[in-house]
Amino acid sequence: MKTITNILLLVAVVVLVGCYAQHDSRVYMREEVRSDSLDSNIVVRTVGRAFGTLIGEGVDVKSAVARRNDAGLLELHIGGYNRSHETKRFRYRVEWLDEDGMVIQNKSSVWMPASAMGKSPFSLKMVAPRPEAVNFRMDTRKWE
Amino acid sequence: MKAKILIILLLSSIFFVGCAQETVNIDVMHDEGKAVMALDYRDFDQAASGMIQSMLGSGALKKDDGSRYVVATARIINDTMQRIDTNQLMAKIEEELLNSGQVVMTSAVGGKGAPDEMVYQVRDIRDSAQGDEFNQDTIAAKGQLVAPELSISGKIFQRNIRYDKNRQQVEYYFQLKITDLTTGLRFWQKETVIGKRGSNKSVAW
Repeated sequence: MKTITNILLLVAVVVLVGCYAQHDSRVYMREEVRSDSLDSNIVVRTVGRAFGTLIGEGVDVKSAVARRNDAGLLELHIGGYNRSHETKRFRYRVEWLDEDGMVIQNKSSVWMPASAMGKSPFSLKMVAPRPEAVNFRMDTRKWE
Repeated sequence: MKAKILIILLLSSIFFVGCAQETVNIDVMHDEGKAVMALDYRDFDQAASGMIQSMLGSGALKKDDGSRYVVATARIINDTMQRIDTNQLMAKIEEELLNSGQVVMTSAVGGKGAPDEMVYQVRDIRDSAQGDEFNQDTIAAKGQLVAPELSISGKIFQRNIRYDKNRQQVEYYFQLKITDLTTGLRFWQKETVIGKRGSNKSVAW
């Protein structure tokens, strides 16, 4: 009886933990593609999804880096992470500001679509259409 | 009897007024209206913005000596099932390229002829008998037009795919490229895809 219990426990641990091995940090292996681990297995994922939906997990912006490109235009790189288990589709719009903080009117400041897969990092890149742009303001909204 | 007629008239007026669809202006800055199967202004805005960002970000329009390229808009082919004036896309792109300070657009040469026919009309006048009526210092002399160095050409096309029994998928492809007219070499190219999935009953043309 004890042997059977031990075998069942071993099987349960293998099922839950899987054969997860650490890989290169530059490669993002998504859940259900990579091997299961203690913090990502069939039980934790199911509970995590329900909990995530309950607390309303969404998209976080981790970094916003602006730099001037070779053509003298401000380039904006946004890095973020979708904490939710579901793919988040949203729209974003960037307004470019001149050195006085005034909005530069242009045709490319429109609501653009973006999408971030569940529990995954994402990045966005925008280029200011005028060299006068020194700063930016970014807005987001739900994909209709 | 008169009271009955009045009541019927009143009820029918409420009924008809209640059914009328109100006309509203679209908030083109923050339109939250539903997507449509055909291409609408939001799709053109999105495609144009993506193209502009890519063109400016690529550095292909930056001249090494700091001067500006002279750019002509060549043919943009509409190969969709819709009647599209391709200027709906190109007007935004041309405006932004001009405002970027990196290029100058020419109105003398274009895929559909000169974008501004007045360039040649004033020359026709110069060469006609009426030409003598003008102060010769103010009329365009020969050899003044500047030839374009770069050309923007492209195509918009559409694919309709049956998605399942009740739904169809319509894919719109916006393709643009920039060619150096002196060497024939292509400096930049981009494709933007806008896909829509909806009822078979919706018509995408």
